[in-house]
Amino acid sequence: MALTDSVRSSMTTATQHSQTATRAPARRRALRQALPYLLSLPALLVCIGILIPFFTAVYYSMMRFRLNLPMLKGFIWFDNYISFLSDGAFWNTLSISLIYAFVTVTGELILGLGIALLLVRPTRLNNAVSIMLLLPLMTAPALAALMWKLMTNPNFGILSYLVSLLGFENFKWASDPSTALLTVVLVDIWVYTPFIMILLLAGLRSLPKQPFEAAALDGVPRSFVFFRITLPMLMPYIITATLFRLLDSIQQFDIIYSMTQGGPGDRLMVFQVQSYLEFFQYTNVGRSAALLIVLWAITYALSNLFIKHWLKLRERAHGPA
Amino acid sequence: MNQISTFERIVRGLLIALVLLFFLFPIFWILLMSFQTNEQILRIPPSLFFEPTLQNYVALLTGRLQTAAGNLDIAFMRNLGNSLLLSTSSVLLALALGVPAAYAFARYKFRLGESIAFTLLSFRFAPPLLVLLPLSLFFRQLHLTDTYIGLIWVYQLICLPLILWIVRGYFEDISPDIEHAYRISGHGWWKTFRKIAIPLARPGIAAAGLLAFIFAWNNFIFALILASASKQPVTVGALAFVTASGIQYGQIAAAIVLSVTPTLLLALYAQRYLVEGLSLGAVKG
Amino acid sequence: MTSLELRNVSKGFKSGKVLDDVSLSVTAGEIVVVFGPSGTGKTVLLRMIAGVHYPDTGTIAIDGEDVTEASPEARGVGMAFQNFALFPHFSTFENIASPLEARETPASKVKEQVGAIARMLKIDHVLGHAPRELSNGQKQRTALARALVAQPKVLLLDDPLRNVDAKLRYEMRMELPRLLRTFNAAVIYVTQDYKEAMALGDRIAVLRNGRIEQWAMPTTVYREPVSIEVARLFGDPTINLLPCKLEMNGAGGQVTVFGRRVPISGAYAHAVGRDLVAGLRPEHVVVTETEAPDAMQFDLDAVMPVNVRSVLYLRGAAGEELLATVSESESARFGRGQRKVWVRFAPGDLLLFDAASGQRIAPQVH
Repeated sequence: MALTDSVRSSMTTATQHSQTATRAPARRRALRQALPYLLSLPALLVCIGILIPFFTAVYYSMMRFRLNLPMLKGFIWFDNYISFLSDGAFWNTLSISLIYAFVTVTGELILGLGIALLLVRPTRLNNAVSIMLLLPLMTAPALAALMWKLMTNPNFGILSYLVSLLGFENFKWASDPSTALLTVVLVDIWVYTPFIMILLLAGLRSLPKQPFEAAALDGVPRSFVFFRITLPMLMPYIITATLFRLLDSIQQFDIIYSMTQGGPGDRLMVFQVQSYLEFFQYTNVGRSAALLIVLWAITYALSNLFIKHWLKLRERAHGPA
Repeated sequence: MNQISTFERIVRGLLIALVLLFFLFPIFWILLMSFQTNEQILRIPPSLFFEPTLQNYVALLTGRLQTAAGNLDIAFMRNLGNSLLLSTSSVLLALALGVPAAYAFARYKFRLGESIAFTLLSFRFAPPLLVLLPLSLFFRQLHLTDTYIGLIWVYQLICLPLILWIVRGYFEDISPDIEHAYRISGHGWWKTFRKIAIPLARPGIAAAGLLAFIFAWNNFIFALILASASKQPVTVGALAFVTASGIQYGQIAAAIVLSVTPTLLLALYAQRYLVEGLSLGAVKG
Repeated sequence: MTSLELRNVSKGFKSGKVLDDVSLSVTAGEIVVVFGPSGTGKTVLLRMIAGVHYPDTGTIAIDGEDVTEASPEARGVGMAFQNFALFPHFSTFENIASPLEARETPASKVKEQVGAIARMLKIDHVLGHAPRELSNGQKQRTALARALVAQPKVLLLDDPLRNVDAKLRYEMRMELPRLLRTFNAAVIYVTQDYKEAMALGDRIAVLRNGRIEQWAMPTTVYREPVSIEVARLFGDPTINLLPCKLEMNGAGGQVTVFGRRVPISGAYAHAVGRDLVAGLRPEHVVVTETEAPDAMQFDLDAVMPVNVRSVLYLRGAAGEELLATVSESESARFGRGQRKVWVRFAPGDLLLFDAASGQRIAPQVH
């Protein structure tokens, strides 16, 4: 057969191939087993590059360490943390951070779920709207804050003008202690509601159809369908999105810093803004690090919870990791 | 859900219009402002109708701002260039580091791999300042403060977990037998990686790269701490610009427009991957 | 000459041992079928030969050369996967050509050889198509062509007919042996279908729980299965198993099945007194409508046509179940069942197994 003849010649090359193979079995084996480690080596280096500063921060947090007073530098165990207990500024930071996270995430969750439900049918219009709504999310938060700053400018801001029409003359937005929180929360909601919306929308659209069809056939009231079918089935997405947002929101920096730098006064002194100022303005490295470690402890607990739920969703999409 | 009453249709339409108004109005308004002179901006009541001007953009592009007090140099174009340079190189580096690692984590289940993957994931949620503040002190000693290399290194903090976890998911979705078949055919590991694994995961790699670019571009805190004026990206530069230019609102608006346009365009282009990217690969859109 | 030799190969994963002390040899031009139920390590065995997995202990040699630790690309074997594993971003031509391209064959020869094998497998008209445009049968043939094109000395076929439809499977079962002979490779063919094993194998290795339970010619595995398990796996419908005891009666022996004494060879004398299981293949059961000498009366419960033969479901006086098969033409006589029939069988067709160990009791010839 022609094929057999023509292919035979290539067999000799195949044999030569296999003879180079077995030269050093032990070395081949070692190389084979080392391959995964070699491939992940760069990522490992980045990991170490993160872990070293992290542990240094832990170390700094137990030091009296001021950049302007180097001679005072010394190890003081937990004194920085202990001093927080009797420090009003710390409690202000803790409470404003928690309030900020709670208010923003609650608002975004309600709004995001509402919009997702509004857009759940995959019509062309709904899809176009959901894509448009991504724009705020893709705007850098620091720049979003500047945009809102322009819009709330007391002299020419369109929003200041609009509220003045409603009778609120001299509404000071972020510069007034009583409305500063509201203003930054509004910006946060503007930026991040689409995040929750798009995750829940993907979740809603991935739900199986049968329960809903069955309920529609049986004439089950809509409220019942929502609370007893939709919401429970959507729960993994809601929990993942909420924890994700909580983790980010409790460490919000960009929006608040761009908008007010933590002011007016200490009204918006959330953790990262406070420790940033502690470090760069008061050059108190120890105290700044201790503040961050407290924040880290909170986020670490939350992130473990988050990763658990996140892995469940991931398993749905890709199978077990 | 098929029978929707006219009333409900109207309510839904109204609600959608309201939602669009809230989320798109700020972008629209800033865009309008960027084409207005200061006098037009300061006019009360504000008007949708005005004679558009390009002077704000011209001032930014030429880098000269003419004010009553005289000429002012603006480095905004440099900020834009920095953003482009930092984001692009960070993403390229993250791809070079992250794609092989993502492949290793997807194909070989080994403990160190899982530890790395989860450490990077968990630091995605740690306060960035926690790593940045000690780094800023190290960088001073290493003379890396205010260098592109130092910044690109730090940007891996956001780019790498994203790329690692999204691309890993794509590799996991490829049947390993396809790679096995190629190797049995007589091709070495490296050629198999290049000719089979990478091309088949390409959509995921592209999506992860685009998203990493967007997040790098939008980052504020890294450069705020580690870069001085000459290396700052637009996020930090715009804030400095506000302080420096004082009341040149039209130019501020134009600067904001120029700064957000690249990411918004990329986002629209990559929108079908956004869900996956935003959930770090856990939810498919 | 032995082209492929496995010696004492064992392999374990985290979940436990998958292959335990497996030895196997295949000569050029021979087709060895590795047969067994799913999850017994058949695929792992193939993958170790291909170099995708590596054994924990033991050695693998191709053409007398130890390749235990060699990379897959250095072994020069061909392999067709159960799920085809075609390269989705390559055309059919590029898929088939990939082993030649790896061997740096000149382009003109690649074209010639791919063309030749594609004609042979009747896929030459789809060479320009992408894999996703192919039917399952064409995909399977492409995978086969890719495995064969470089004329490997060792060819590994992992249940290649599993994912194709019944008609194509039947055709390929006829076509494959002839095709494989022309290549003169040492072939290992994995399947869980005993008919495929019978049709294709020169020798069969029955793999169960990671061990080779029987290593023999197909007819031997069928006629003299080493154990109840092998007998059950190898045959469809499954063999009838009847608990019994052996007694001696002069020079001959006898067992009692269906309440009747059946004389059997005296060569089983060594098994007297043990608890036994008699195995009777359904195709050895003769069913008639009318009474015959030595026939037992059974109720015919149902008739089920399966391929070219029909399965009869029979019930004895004491409620014992018995399966029998008859040819299609015969089955017409039995209608849909629900009647009395007479059953007999040749005592020599009975296989005897030790009830406790499950091992077959071979007749001892003095």
